[in-house]
Amino acid sequence: MASNGFFRGAIEIARAMGVTLTALTRKPVTIQYPFEPVSIYPRFRGRHELRRYASGLERCIGCMLCEAACPTGAIYVEAEENDPANRHSPGERYAKVYEVNLLRCVFCGDCEEACPVEAIVLGHEFALAAYSRRDLILEKEALLNPSEPMVVIRPE
Amino acid sequence: MSDKASGKAPEMKHSPGQPAPTGKEPLPANKPGGASAPGAGGGAVPAKPEAPANPNDVSLTIDGRSVTVPKGTLVVDAAQKLGIEIPVFCSHPKLDPVACCRMCLVEISGPRGPMLQTACSVPVAPDMVVSTETEQVRAVQEANLAFMLLNHPLDCPICDKGGECPLQDQTMRYGPGISQLVEPKRHKNKQYLISDTIVLDQERCVVCWRCIRYLEEWEDKPQLGLFERGGATLIDIQPGKPVDAKTGGNIIDICPVGALTNRVARFAYRPWEIDRTPSICTHCSIGCNLRMDSRTHSVRRIVGRENMAVNDQWLCDKGRFAHGWINDAQRLQTPLVRKNGNLVAASWSEALEVVASKLQSIKKTSGAESIGAIGSAKLSNESNYLLQRLFRSTIGTNNIDHRAGADVAALPTGLPALVDLMKPQYGPDPKADVVMLVGVDPSEELPILDVHLKRAVRRGKTQLIIVHPRKVELTRYNGPYLGCRPGSEALLINGIAKLALKQVQNSHTAPADAAGFVADATKEALRTVCGVDVDEAKRAAELLAKAKNAVIIYGPMVAQGEQGKQVRNALTNLALITGHGSRLAYVGLEANSQGCRDVGLLPNALPGHAPLSDEKLRKTLEKTWGGPIATKAGKSYSQMLDGAGSDLKALYIMGANPASERPAWAAKLDALDFLVVQDLFLTETAQLADVVLPAVSWAEEDGTFTNLERRVQRAPKAVRSPDSKAASDWMILDHLAARLGAQWPFANVHGVTAEIAKVIPAYHGLTWDALGDQGVQWDAAAITRAKPTMQPVTQETISTDGYSVIGGTVLYDDGDLFAKTPLMQNMAFGAAVGINPADAAKMGIETGSLLKVSSAQGELILAARVDPSVRAGSVWIPESLPNAPVGALRNGAAVPHVEITPGPKSAA
Repeated sequence: MASNGFFRGAIEIARAMGVTLTALTRKPVTIQYPFEPVSIYPRFRGRHELRRYASGLERCIGCMLCEAACPTGAIYVEAEENDPANRHSPGERYAKVYEVNLLRCVFCGDCEEACPVEAIVLGHEFALAAYSRRDLILEKEALLNPSEPMVVIRPE
Repeated sequence: MSDKASGKAPEMKHSPGQPAPTGKEPLPANKPGGASAPGAGGGAVPAKPEAPANPNDVSLTIDGRSVTVPKGTLVVDAAQKLGIEIPVFCSHPKLDPVACCRMCLVEISGPRGPMLQTACSVPVAPDMVVSTETEQVRAVQEANLAFMLLNHPLDCPICDKGGECPLQDQTMRYGPGISQLVEPKRHKNKQYLISDTIVLDQERCVVCWRCIRYLEEWEDKPQLGLFERGGATLIDIQPGKPVDAKTGGNIIDICPVGALTNRVARFAYRPWEIDRTPSICTHCSIGCNLRMDSRTHSVRRIVGRENMAVNDQWLCDKGRFAHGWINDAQRLQTPLVRKNGNLVAASWSEALEVVASKLQSIKKTSGAESIGAIGSAKLSNESNYLLQRLFRSTIGTNNIDHRAGADVAALPTGLPALVDLMKPQYGPDPKADVVMLVGVDPSEELPILDVHLKRAVRRGKTQLIIVHPRKVELTRYNGPYLGCRPGSEALLINGIAKLALKQVQNSHTAPADAAGFVADATKEALRTVCGVDVDEAKRAAELLAKAKNAVIIYGPMVAQGEQGKQVRNALTNLALITGHGSRLAYVGLEANSQGCRDVGLLPNALPGHAPLSDEKLRKTLEKTWGGPIATKAGKSYSQMLDGAGSDLKALYIMGANPASERPAWAAKLDALDFLVVQDLFLTETAQLADVVLPAVSWAEEDGTFTNLERRVQRAPKAVRSPDSKAASDWMILDHLAARLGAQWPFANVHGVTAEIAKVIPAYHGLTWDALGDQGVQWDAAAITRAKPTMQPVTQETISTDGYSVIGGTVLYDDGDLFAKTPLMQNMAFGAAVGINPADAAKMGIETGSLLKVSSAQGELILAARVDPSVRAGSVWIPESLPNAPVGALRNGAAVPHVEITPGPKSAA
């Protein structure tokens, strides 16, 4: 009986070694981040950005609904009336101040849901480390000019 | 921030635009005798209500529950009593029903079965059966909302009303949920200014007429109207005539949609992002209750708050819009000390050390009598109480006063009660049947009193008698108007008293010796000296003699100086003769004019209007304050400023700006050895100071204010800039007292309130907690006054050379607190002089031409403002205009006389 057990063991080991040997020939799944780019799912929620219309006008109307929807109080908005001679947005109202505190944000996407004009979206940028807390409060300029602008928003 | 928002003001749940249930409270609450037990009706079978015990009550059934309400109550209010909400847009608790929005349709059973009727306009009837939840009612509510939303733009995200909008709320609750409209919406004017401060969006309007009705029913200025018909109907101003009613901003509060919005607060707030603080207004002495909405340490907007004893729920436009100064960038942020001739920033300890050591050394070298303190009637009771405590006790001088303080012949108790003059929508007629205004123009000085009086005249049959050198707005109501020559009021009033004496000759009310005191005031004198129509004076005398409850109100304009005392004497005579002695009232015009006097900010009185010789109170105070109190009466405001630099060496000025009043005073203040100014801004006076201490405003620290009817009200802290080093008045004075060797026991400002409540008999028990959100009126009987007697009156001779100057104040005065709201700048009176058209024509002047106004004391170059309300032979230069300091023409005289010559040709 012992020899029987010996052969069986040997076959199992050979089989396992086979898996190992085939894996050696396969392309590895590990990505050498940050030396290699990472592919991201289209619905990934990363750093926020504020979108513009094709005309260059800001979409955001400063309605503060994102601020109301935010579960962590990460968004701060101050609205102001548009100066018709120097418009920021198409309507009467625009956001004078728009800040997102990334230290508070939980990237839930509720702000996107709340936005009536699809101005705020969560983009794909996820490398958000910074050397100071202040740098983690994104102001309007930073939000309007992301490194990879105009993320296609998801279909409903 | 959010945790604060929830806990701050639980009673503020209702936005002013909504049908607030509190607004219905004037309805007398009946005992629930007729109300059936819950469940008795069960909703399906209407319970037959029992007949009410009171014949003036009516019992009816609403949704199967019975309720008993007074006759004449509207169905919507009766339902409110049961807690049943009937949706409304046009109905408002303070306005007459019009039933134009059709939202409140309910089924009311009549002889022809249940029919749809408007609950907001149908009064209750016995055995009425009302159903608010039937299928038909639901269908009609849905249809109505769908109809209203047809052309209503869906711009809620940018609408300032969004979040507190009755249309939003009711659409969510009663609306159809979908829109069947596929055609484009109708377009009308958006962002349409109907005044400098009110924005109209005609697209959002649901044509409820509330704004039209407010301006008609309360302001009596129908400045808004309906134009066009059908779906094109719109609210608009008369062409080219913006809304200029002084309380026009109230239409923003009552608009049920976002059609009328506040331009000053435009886009600065969202209802879910603000802290709401119930506070009061400090622009005038009415003390209107308001709600301060703030966010991130700044005041975002001010809305009215209901107090049925003070302002109903209205605010004037100055109170509503002129709050820009609170968060102005020019506010002082750090103490300043003069070094080498320049004011430089210093630390608090350094600044206070300088003040303390300087005051001590001046006291040592020149005596306490050479030190003076000026407080301010714009500041709280606590600030002023501590100022007088510091100087009375620690420094040891009675040189303590405020502007319009001891220089004015006042009376200690103010108005009997504002409610006597009010006619609420559902309430009894005002108690006062005749109101006599002497030298007070409520339209400019106390705008909410103006609204109350207009309403009392139109709805409550009150009669107005007006004595004013200017034909003020209220003279348009058909009461006697006595436009006397400025300065001749004493004679005029004694003349009216003489005429009234004839009217009351057979009754017992007039004092026996009255005739002797009023003998001088002949009809001839009235005609020649005062320049009034004797028949009008007779009418006034007759009204006063016949009145049951006449209230006689006089203001600081006629009470100044020596002649002011004569006016007070004359008024006392008049009140005694006509039997209204207890209702003669002096009203100060600043927010805390009454409170300042109450807490003893006077050179000749201890707190609580007690004379300096009051031994009993002195003992109490000395025990509480821990030191002796100066006994010699001090100098008044004008005496201190006139004597500044000569017999007065040091002055501590808190919240006052005398340098802007008279150039002569500015020079004298400059000559002082030591001047401390504690203020919000670097005012003209502060620029002359040796030490400037930055203080905080009424919005930034708790405080109590006493209004013109002795109502002590709370003004809690709403905001406080975290960046500023400015400190509260009480804290500055407390630290200064400690450096001067006094040990005060206050842990916070409520401790000061508690001490006031302890030491001033009239304020007994009025601690911070006891005051509540509606304030408490102290009892006028709590202070002892000599029984008024007939007084001799002498009229000083009035010069007839040149033009006499009419003073008084205007609402939009462009002072420090007004100028910081840029949107209101077009409303400001400006550096102008009002002149009668006849005089103007004589000199060939028109509005805008520059005039040189000169007296022996000085001259001013002012723009003419041709104004038919100004009496011929006089000119109107309001006080407190920064660019037109009427004080430059004054030298102690209450009514200066000036020469007018055409000034330099205008550059424009």
